[in-house]
Amino acid sequence: MARFLAGRLLMGLLAILATTVAVTLLIHLVPGDPVQIMYAQSQGTTPEQLAEMRHMLGLDRPILEQWLRFVLHLLHGDLGVTIRGQQPVAQLILQRLPNTLALAAASMAIATAIGLPVGFAAAWWRGRWADTALMTVAIAGVSVPHFWLGLILMSVFAVQLEWLPVGGTGWAGLVLPAATLGLSNAAIVARMTRSAMIEVMSQDFVRTAYAKGLLRALVLRRHVLRAGLVPVVTMMAMQFAYMMGGAIVVENIFAWNGIGRLAIEAIFQRDYPVIQGFILVFATTVITVSILLDLLYAVLDPRIRVRG
Amino acid sequence: MFSVLKNLFLRSVVVALPIATAAVPPAVAKDIVWARYGDIDTLDPHRATSTLSLQVWSLIYDTLLATDADGKPVPNIARSWTVSEDGTEYTFKLADGVKCHDGAQLTAEDVKYTVDRAFDAKNPSVTKASWGPIESATVVDPLTITLKLKTPFVAMVPFLADSFSSILCRGNATVGGFGTSAAIGSGPWKLVSWTKGDRIVLAKNPDYRNLGKLAENKGPPYMDRLVITTVPEPQARLAGLRTGVIQVAEPPIDDVPDLQKSKSLNIVVAQNTGQNVFWEFAVHRPPFNDERARKAVAYATDAQAAIDLVYGDLSLREHCPISRGVFGNDQDFCARHGQDHDPAKAIALLKELGYGPDRPLEVTMLVWTGGNREKLAEVFQSQLAEAAIKAKIEIMDIGTMNARVRQENEKPTGIGSMDMMTWSWYDPDILFALWHTPGAYRGFTSPELDAMLDKTRVLADPAARKAAVQDVMAYLLDHAIHVPLYTPGWEWVFAVRPDVQGFHVAPFVYPIFNDVKF
Repeated sequence: MARFLAGRLLMGLLAILATTVAVTLLIHLVPGDPVQIMYAQSQGTTPEQLAEMRHMLGLDRPILEQWLRFVLHLLHGDLGVTIRGQQPVAQLILQRLPNTLALAAASMAIATAIGLPVGFAAAWWRGRWADTALMTVAIAGVSVPHFWLGLILMSVFAVQLEWLPVGGTGWAGLVLPAATLGLSNAAIVARMTRSAMIEVMSQDFVRTAYAKGLLRALVLRRHVLRAGLVPVVTMMAMQFAYMMGGAIVVENIFAWNGIGRLAIEAIFQRDYPVIQGFILVFATTVITVSILLDLLYAVLDPRIRVRG
Repeated sequence: MFSVLKNLFLRSVVVALPIATAAVPPAVAKDIVWARYGDIDTLDPHRATSTLSLQVWSLIYDTLLATDADGKPVPNIARSWTVSEDGTEYTFKLADGVKCHDGAQLTAEDVKYTVDRAFDAKNPSVTKASWGPIESATVVDPLTITLKLKTPFVAMVPFLADSFSSILCRGNATVGGFGTSAAIGSGPWKLVSWTKGDRIVLAKNPDYRNLGKLAENKGPPYMDRLVITTVPEPQARLAGLRTGVIQVAEPPIDDVPDLQKSKSLNIVVAQNTGQNVFWEFAVHRPPFNDERARKAVAYATDAQAAIDLVYGDLSLREHCPISRGVFGNDQDFCARHGQDHDPAKAIALLKELGYGPDRPLEVTMLVWTGGNREKLAEVFQSQLAEAAIKAKIEIMDIGTMNARVRQENEKPTGIGSMDMMTWSWYDPDILFALWHTPGAYRGFTSPELDAMLDKTRVLADPAARKAAVQDVMAYLLDHAIHVPLYTPGWEWVFAVRPDVQGFHVAPFVYPIFNDVKF
């Protein structure tokens, strides 16, 4: 197990290192000179000032040196400063990361609470009218854009009923954006759960369990769920990681101060240090979730541990 | 497996609980909440130029001079000023008893600190050129300061009434975090906190005295706190206004006619904004190095029809390169020199250049995102298409557009590029910043235009200066260098809850909250 864990951690570190190379190159690959953008609104900027700023950002150094400096600074928790406003990027991301984590966790909780039972029920009543009805709702849920759903929820629960605030931070402000994201993801979880359960229900070991005379509820709980939820948990974990960056639209609608909003603002403003920081945090989250998933598989299925 | 899932669920809730409760507390019941689509760039007035930033600086900092309702400079912290005969020395007498937010007395030393900082050799203000050719700032006594100029510069007086020239208290030099977490001014509101991208919390300055700003209230603001939040989605701002969470906000432009009819919210439209939206062109390569191509675009554009369609009566057709409320603006004069909508003339000019329905003129149209400008661009695109000009629209953030326009002017080859540029200024000196060599975007310049622009900076006599400004405007319009479209164009419409009293907007889109009560 220790060897397996060490292997996964090493792979994770290499992936993060590769991400640092990518974000170092990013600044040179995308169109538009960051220094020129920084001074675009300045009157009478001299070439000396532009050169000085390039030097300050380290853009005049060889790419290898730029990468080494980036990694070195990263090890000290330094992601540079924003092009506009000169604020520390790490501080900005850390300030917003809890909000994004809270939104992702709350929406995942909603998605799980709705999606799992619905998917399971649809599998249980496979082919009957209940299955058709539940899956029709799920397809509709997947198809509805976050933007539209968010505005509808806001209109009903904030403007008409006045039960919840239209946006902002704090517990009450979390409900609507979490519900918007959670309901869409619940539909995905439900569909995934249904397919996984149906597949497992047709396996030999389930038939054997029935043949042994076990009660249907016990078979489902002990055998079907245990095997069927592995792919569902995988998908949910990846959805969680995706929500770290994919909640941009919802964060914008509800003025939720997360890193997705920070990223979109930075992309529009070509604020490269912020974009670099966001990519790094996003990649690290996805990699960390992948490692945790690998470990979870290893716990659930010893064959994976042996192969790893 | 059930226990694993149960654990996962419980842990996510346990993680989320303290995180969500640790988030920034919401505004309290009697705060004024002003929601805007975006945030400031910085709290340092020497590091940005956006309207979003300027509006906030105007609340925290005060200025030597202020503007009256017509946009003319009037005394403020500086109670009076004199100018030397040769126009190179300005002496300002400051009011006694003005206090900075850190409790220190505001003196001539603070003015000197601000000016010296703006002219810092290593890191000058981004608007250094607009301060004028200031050679030195000399403290005569604690309440008297003299600014010595290398050459006369009449635009300095209106500049000193604008928030670009916000007076920074000396405490900023030592406070730590100036511009990001600290900002010491002497304005009506004190900084409490700034959470980038989310909110700026201001508390009323109990020591504030209104010496010249456009507010009836001569003392501190009536309300205790002003919370400026960032709500990018227009419908969310509207929902916030309807539920009372937000008191003031820019509404979705498309909803304004209904709001006006229903009277559910008060609509305040800013006057004398100084905002000018215009066509400009990459003039160092074909086709727009040829005046006829630029004129063809101008003739093909029906600005009045476009703004009627998109903004209704919220915006006006602008004929001058400087907008209404700015010294020298004269609609009739400019209309005589500009190119009014005439597709036949556009087609004829394009034909001379070898373009027509079989060979349309292909160009890129750069547009700043937001404020329904995307819709407007589409209307312009279809108008241009009627004259065989095929415009590809590219929408971007204003900072990116500024850089891109400069890049397009520096590119010797490529398809033609034009942009719907937006500038706001309080004085015709804007034309100097835009079109005097080397030019704000390295675009059109010429020695004769430079000479005309130089004159506008030194003529102290209003009639003589007005004539010089008109010469410049005529040149720009006759050669279709700066093709005015409309005014105003961004952050100029405010929806205000009916229970909010006393909200108004000063010239150049500075909202005033000193009189607000609700």
